Formats: sequence, structure tokens, C-alpha cells
Amino acid sequence: MDIYSILFWFLSAMAVGSALGVILSRNPVNSVMFLILTFFAISGHYIIMNAQFLAVVNIIVYAGAIMVLFLFVIMLMNLNADVEPQKGMMIQLAGVISGGTLFLVILMGLTTAKSELIDTKSSDIGLISNLGKVLFTKFALPFEISSVLFLSAMIGAVVIGKKEHIPASEKAEIV
Amino acid sequence: MTAIIATTVFGIIMMFTGLFVDNKKTVSSIAAVLFVALLGINIMELSDATGPALRSMTLSLLGTADNTNGAFPQLLFNNMLRIDKMSMWFGTAMTACTALYILLIGKEFRKVGTHVAEYFALIFFILCGLYILTAYNSMLMLFIGIEIMSIPQYVLAGSDKRNLKSSEASLKYFLMGAFSTGILLMGITLLYGATRTFNVTEMVPMLHSESLNPLAISGIVFIMVALGFKVSAAPMHTWTPDVYDGTPTAFTAFMATIVKAGVFFAFLRLFHVSFGNISEHWLMILAIVTALTLLIGNVTAVYQQSVKRMLAYSSIAQAGFMLFSVLAVSSNIAWNGIILYGVAYSVATIGVFAVLVKMKDYTYDGFNGLAKKNPLLAFVTTIFLFSLAGIPLTGGFMAKYYVLLAVMHQGNMMWLVIFALLMAAISVYYYFRVIIAMYFKQGDPELTSEVTMGDQVLLIATTIIVILLGVMPHWFLMPA
Repeated sequence: MDIYSILFWFLSAMAVGSALGVILSRNPVNSVMFLILTFFAISGHYIIMNAQFLAVVNIIVYAGAIMVLFLFVIMLMNLNADVEPQKGMMIQLAGVISGGTLFLVILMGLTTAKSELIDTKSSDIGLISNLGKVLFTKFALPFEISSVLFLSAMIGAVVIGKKEHIPASEKAEIV
Repeated sequence: MTAIIATTVFGIIMMFTGLFVDNKKTVSSIAAVLFVALLGINIMELSDATGPALRSMTLSLLGTADNTNGAFPQLLFNNMLRIDKMSMWFGTAMTACTALYILLIGKEFRKVGTHVAEYFALIFFILCGLYILTAYNSMLMLFIGIEIMSIPQYVLAGSDKRNLKSSEASLKYFLMGAFSTGILLMGITLLYGATRTFNVTEMVPMLHSESLNPLAISGIVFIMVALGFKVSAAPMHTWTPDVYDGTPTAFTAFMATIVKAGVFFAFLRLFHVSFGNISEHWLMILAIVTALTLLIGNVTAVYQQSVKRMLAYSSIAQAGFMLFSVLAVSSNIAWNGIILYGVAYSVATIGVFAVLVKMKDYTYDGFNGLAKKNPLLAFVTTIFLFSLAGIPLTGGFMAKYYVLLAVMHQGNMMWLVIFALLMAAISVYYYFRVIIAMYFKQGDPELTSEVTMGDQVLLIATTIIVILLGVMPHWFLMPA
């Protein structure tokens, strides 16, 4: 067993274990902490696949920015184990059956698939210079056109976030 | 390609209009002019499509080699887009529907909220997504197109901030939409794992029945679920009634029609071009989805008390018919079917919504006695509902005829066609309830605004389009 497979199994166990922790822990704050751990494990996977840039971005964006926001929201809403809504037996059963079916289907797909996967050790496709090159040549259009997506998200923030000017006649009613 | 650039630029112009122009009326007029201009650009592009001079000029401007040897389809940006005549024709038809929608309903935007210019900008961006979906040639473009189409819709759904139902609709749509996007990405990933390409046409040789990678089948099913969510096909339809009901009526009219037709075109393109050779692996799943969509959409619509909610369920039912064009893998009529169905359904539904935004009470009782109060409104509504129900001589009949014919040519799914006809008969019941309320019941319906001369002319024009679609459908199909 070489160092790659040891790292691989360690990181995989960590990712799966903390992902289970996310859904099984009662306290939402613990769930978020487990989620951060999951992201770190996945970043580790990226590194052993020689995709350093992706690993760093994953840590900065997900574990850093998004999870902090997430944690803030949970703390502001003051959620704890007591206010967690109780689900009925039937709903839990339905969830288990549908989720289990999905799991079996994907498991079948993955186990019977031909495993002619990429060689992780020699490939340097995940390095930042290669990523930059394909982003501005082969994938220039998707890269550029996602600006439209961000523009509409910005407009959305304005439309939903900005205070509406309410006419004086209606103001009286609200107050 | 020009259309994608133009609609983005127009969207940005609308953003600046919101900054500098305070008068909402002026904003609406500028938007209407821009939409008509966009239609003009589309028509120009379509008519120039065969003219060699302009095409080579645009190609040299874009810096792409003319590798198509002077003939369509045009492959742009390293095969990211594949613009053929069919996609241009569909894009132009949908732009025409949008222009009609803006002219009919655009002035109702003022009642929704203060950010009128931004609403128009968002609609321009949705159209940008639609053009990408008509011309994508890579899974990445499919994903980005669907996202560009969806995100503005989440915003539009929540634009009426003082209404709790609108906020609920927005949040619900956003969460469910994000979930379905995750499923779409998963599907694309699995498919990429099986074929090693994002390209829609290049993956065809990798997908053949003898040595099919199971990853590919799971990927196809995931993509089917995600696209089915976007078009509100049956097991994935549960968001539709609440979202369409809570969204301000002016925007529901857009979400339920043009957006849905656009996603259907993408659906059809992917499943016919890429997965057409291995249709035996997914056809039965999609047939069951279609049957469920028809059943749930039509039967639940019968029990609704609000016309707006009934139209939401009717949009599910109509999606069931549009799925027939995806089912007809080996038929050439399917493409014409989806274009005709998209246009006929959009025009008729926009017409009904244009009348609905004028009503104060959205229940069936709110329509009581409309024929006495305003005979014209009642008459045009009747024609639109005839079209939705699929009565001959209206667009809806020809559209249903085309999509069902496409499946019948294939010959292996007669049970589904018969089932669809049965369901169409049920749909007559709930569409005609509105007509009965308008003509045979006493009442004094209240209108929120005056029906102006312009409204009347536009409504009559829409009615004429609906009838022309039924009498002369070939005018709306791409000349061979």
C-alpha cells in the first residue's frame, strides 16, 4: 500500500464520516462544522488528484466564505435541537425508500462501469496555468457568458433587497 | 449569435434606464421599443442566414474560421454553439411571443413594484438564456443557459415584496430550482464520465446499445429528472401550482409560456440528437412521466376554484402534450411539433393572462357575467380557451395534432396517444367552466383597469394569430 492509497482511504473515510455527521447531528451548528470538515476532506482529494487550484478555491469559497455565512444565519436564527420540526413516520419511510432506491441505482452504475478512469498521478490538467489556458480558449464562451448570470443575480439583489418607496397614502395604513 | 449579444446589451440598457428615467411609463415605452427592435434583429438574422455576405462578415468579426463550408449549421466558439435554421426559427418565434407579451401585459409591471426597468432587464436576460438553449452544442452551455433562464425567474417570482405569497413562491422556486440544478449537474458529470466529452454531437458515437456504460444511463435519467423539473413534468411538478399562483400575474404569464417552451426545445434537442440512438433505454420512463403529467395536470385542474391556479395546472397538462414531441425520437415532425405547440400554447396562454390581469377576482365567480359587461373580453377569452382545449380551427388543435401525429408515426405508443386524447377531453371541462361563467351566469365582474383602445386592438390581433395558427399552421413552420 503506497502513500497515495493510504491518503485516499483516509480522506474518503473522513469525507463519508463527516458527511454522515452533517445529517445525523441534532445541533445545526455541529452540522455546519461537519460540513466544513467534509469540504476539507474533498479538498484533500483534489490535491491527491494534482488539482491544487481547485483545492484552494474549494477551501476559500466553500469552507471560508459560504460556511461562515451559513453559520451566521444559523446563529442569528437561534436554531437548536428543540425547535427542529418532527417528521411523521410515513415521511421518514418514504424518504428512506426513495433515497435508498437512488443509492442502489447509482451504486449499480458505479460498480458495473468500466473503470478506465484518468491517471491521477501523471496528469497536470488541474494546475492553474492549464486551467487558465482552457478557460480563455476552449471554454471562453461559457466563461464570458456567465457574466449575464451574475448581472441578473445583481439585479435580483437590488430588486429584492432595496427598500420600496411606499406612497404616503399607503404608509398610513401600514403604521 | 447577434440575438444573444443584442438581448444582453438591451438588458444593460434597461438597467441604465432605471437609473436615469424616473417615469415608469417612459420606461415601459422604451422597453417595448427595445423588444420590437430585438424581434427585428432576430428576423434580420433569420433572413440573412442564407445570405453569404453577412455570414462571412460576422464570422470574421468573431474570429472563427468558416469551417462549415458556407452552409448551416454554424458552429461557433469551439463548438460551444451550433446555430442552425431550426434554432433561429424557434428563437425568432419565441421573441415574437415575448414582444406580444410585453405589448399586452408590459404595462401591468408598474403595479407590481417600483423597479420596473429592472423587471424588463431580467426578461431580456431570460431571453438570452433562451437563445443559448436553442443553440447549445455543449453540456456546459445547456447548464449555463438553464441557469441564466432560472435565476431571473426566482427574482421575478418574489418581486411583489408586500405580498407574502409572492415571497413564498420565490423562496420555494429558488430552493427547489437549486436542488434540480444539482441533479442536472450530477447527470452531466456522470455522462461526462461515460463519454469523456461535453459535446452534444461528439458523444453520440460513445452512446450505442451494445456497449453502453451504465454511468451514461444514470446520467440520462438524472438529466431527464432535472429538465422534467424545469418543464414541470409530473413527479417533479409539485412546485408549479404554488409558484405560479404566488408570482405576480404579469410574470406568471411569461414563466408559464415562453420559458417553458424554451426548455422544451433544449430537452428535445438533447434527447433527439445525443440520446436518440439509445432511445430504448429511456423511452419507457419518459412515456410513464408523460402519462402521469397528463393525468395529474388534468385531473387536479378540475378541482381548482381560482382561474390562475387552474391555469397553473393546465400548464402542467400542456407540458404533458409537449413531452410527446420528445417521445417521437424517430420522427421528423417532432421539431415542427414543438415549434407549433410552443407558439400556439404561448400565444393563447398569454392572451388568457392578459384578460386575467384585468380582473379583480381570480375565482371562477369573478368571471360571472363578463360577456354582458365587456363582450369583447369575453369573446377573446373564449377563443384562447378553445385553443388551449384543442378545439379545431384554433392553434391548439393543430399543435396537438402535430405532436400526437409525430408519436403515431413511430407506431409503438398508441396507448399513450389514446390516453392523451381522453385527457384532452377532461381538459375541456375546466376550460369551459370559465366560458360558462362568462356567458351563462349573472354577475358584475370588476375590472382593475380600463380596457383601452390599444388593448382591444392587441387582443383582437392575438385572437387572429390563434385562429391563423389553426387554419394556416404551415405559415408558422420553417419553410423546408
